[in-house]
Amino acid sequence: MWRLNKVHHKAGRPGDSVEELKLKRREHEKALRQARRDRQLVSKRLLLNDDEDQSEVTMDTNSGEQDVVAVLQKLHHSGPERDTHLKALSKALRDPSAQLTFIKQENSMHLLVGLLTGSDATCRLQASTKFTELCLYTLGNLCPDSIVKEKLLAQGIVPALASCLENQRHNLAVVEAVGFTLSQLLQANDAAEKIIPMVLASSLPSHLLSVLTPDPKFGLGPAIECAWCIHYLTCSMKDHRVLLAQGALLQCSSLLVSLGGAVAEGNKEEGMELLICPLLRCVGNLLSSCPLTDLSAQMGDVRIVVALCALLQAFLLTQPALARESAWVLNNLTAHSRALCSALLTLNLVPGLIQLLPFSQGINTMILRVLANIAHNKKDFCVHLAHRGLLSALCATLKMADQEMVTLSMDVIFMLVVSSPQVAEEFVKQGGLSLLEATQYNSEGEIRQRATHLLEHHLLS
Amino acid sequence: MLQPDLVRLLTEGHVLVKSCDEDCLTGNTQEPRQSEGEEGEEGNPFNYTPQLIHLNKDHQLFEDGDIHRHMYLQDLYISEAEDKPTLSVSEFACHISGCSAIFSTLEEYEHHYNSLHRHVCCSCRRSLPSARLLDIHIQEWHDSLFTILSQRQDMYQCLVEGCGQKFSTSKHRKDHLIKIHKYPPDFRFDKTKKDKGNRQTKKQPQKDTTMDVEESMETHGSEEEAARMAKSASTEEHADLNAAAPSTESSSSDPLEPRYSYRVPTNVCFGRGSVRGFRGRRGRRK
Repeated sequence: MWRLNKVHHKAGRPGDSVEELKLKRREHEKALRQARRDRQLVSKRLLLNDDEDQSEVTMDTNSGEQDVVAVLQKLHHSGPERDTHLKALSKALRDPSAQLTFIKQENSMHLLVGLLTGSDATCRLQASTKFTELCLYTLGNLCPDSIVKEKLLAQGIVPALASCLENQRHNLAVVEAVGFTLSQLLQANDAAEKIIPMVLASSLPSHLLSVLTPDPKFGLGPAIECAWCIHYLTCSMKDHRVLLAQGALLQCSSLLVSLGGAVAEGNKEEGMELLICPLLRCVGNLLSSCPLTDLSAQMGDVRIVVALCALLQAFLLTQPALARESAWVLNNLTAHSRALCSALLTLNLVPGLIQLLPFSQGINTMILRVLANIAHNKKDFCVHLAHRGLLSALCATLKMADQEMVTLSMDVIFMLVVSSPQVAEEFVKQGGLSLLEATQYNSEGEIRQRATHLLEHHLLS
Repeated sequence: MLQPDLVRLLTEGHVLVKSCDEDCLTGNTQEPRQSEGEEGEEGNPFNYTPQLIHLNKDHQLFEDGDIHRHMYLQDLYISEAEDKPTLSVSEFACHISGCSAIFSTLEEYEHHYNSLHRHVCCSCRRSLPSARLLDIHIQEWHDSLFTILSQRQDMYQCLVEGCGQKFSTSKHRKDHLIKIHKYPPDFRFDKTKKDKGNRQTKKQPQKDTTMDVEESMETHGSEEEAARMAKSASTEEHADLNAAAPSTESSSSDPLEPRYSYRVPTNVCFGRGSVRGFRGRRGRRK
């Protein structure tokens, strides 16, 4: 069942006021941001059972570490109570010192991986796959530890996950668990050298791609996990040939188109941004290495620019970071594709982009890059841009505090003005000359130089 | 909101436009395009090239999305309705060298600029960032008396207020400004001779700015002249600029240029808060 339906406001205890909840959330968020700065952003996940109760007392003894060793012993003997034992183990492992003890136990990883593969193999015989899921979450929560990772890799965790996903891809709860565990592995700082090549060589990428389309009944959970896996794969490497060959760009962009459509219609499902975010990143990074000649085969559909504009508008106020990431993808789309630049013009999406130029924190600089990419296609495109009101917008952006906005504005003004005499004339009519004159006194030498060049060579000569 | 026909385009799957094949057909590859209009153009400083941007896992741009993801993993997800992040709007800043004022709206910026930096010369309509510089400009460029006097005595004032030094030529003054007052060599110094061989620092035909533009900002009526000028043809400006080689030559080579330039005396005020600067120039603003 879609996790969000079950869990809300976990941060606080029952009885917390709204304000206390908010405070706790904010503290959590602050801690996460610091962790990210330290490149130590990891999270554990709990398997949700219908009967799970957070405050449930699981152990009678007073030492979690002893429990761990004891349970481990019990787990060595497979039997009907192993579900209970594993549940107990999983809970015990929430304690960091217990986790450390567990890791140090000889063959602990071997046991867990063994349990997973065994469970996976016999899944068809079992009524419930809860055990498999539990194995996976237990493993996934342990993954961030570097010793664990090494042991797991040695124990063949990657092939185990691959076959699990392959065998159980119709069991979405298991898919979600596999996705989570894999994402924990792939998120490691050294994943690029050790883990990713292994993963790319396995069947995991193609299976991950095949489960990206969310199931309406089950919810977004599995798709979210798998999308994040693909994101970690794409952002850590610059060579994406394997993923591109398997149609990753096509799949991710098609999905973005349909999600963009849903969002544009107003069907914003809760949690949708958790899926949109990694998809955007996948498309953005895959584009950065996709040869232009392959672009049409890989993208297929120019509706992607429409979808991105829809996402930009829809999330601007509620999730500005998502708007920023959408703008980044638009930049990568328009950087070398004349057709996509043309689409933005003919579909009349440019005025909407111009309206985004007041917004800072990386949104307007990226949007201005997109507009610059369009202008870079010279004459007709520039004339179109001028007709859509870009010149007067640039007269304002040139005065912004952000130096990058000023530089980009100068660049775009230049491209527009040299594209045709009519545009140059229009610029002069809008007070462009005195604007550039003032810019000749700019504190930055490069800007002064550009203003002078434009005046001397293109506007006044 | 997205236009209805575009929403339909997304949801109903009719591809109304050409696909990306156009790129292949036109042979548009990833070769870097030539920079704009540089036939015979020297030293074009513009070099914008579209860039493919690859972002790695720890990039700053990804921070908020990552945090959101991990909040979800830790069952701390909050839906849109409950969480209102702030969207910020760009500030504006006066980039005139030496001025570091920052504004939250464009209107505030314009008010600042028009009050403090728009000192316009009536003859050539050039805008100088301070009253003092405007005075110096008029004196050196549009005053034939200056031309005569400067042949016999040091007339070129140092642009830095309070320095007081004077020089026999604008080049001497420029050297002084660079050496003593640390002006950057590429700053807007005068062109001496209209000499193509000597292009280094002589590109700008204009006078330069000062480091202390905030000073002496009493009300000024020169904008009224400027408002009149706004309607005149741009050819007038062309003539002035082309003739503006050395300041010593300007008045003698162009018989049409007025002998004296008029600036409305500072004791004439056209009203506080009156629009200063060219009317109708601001265009559409957000």
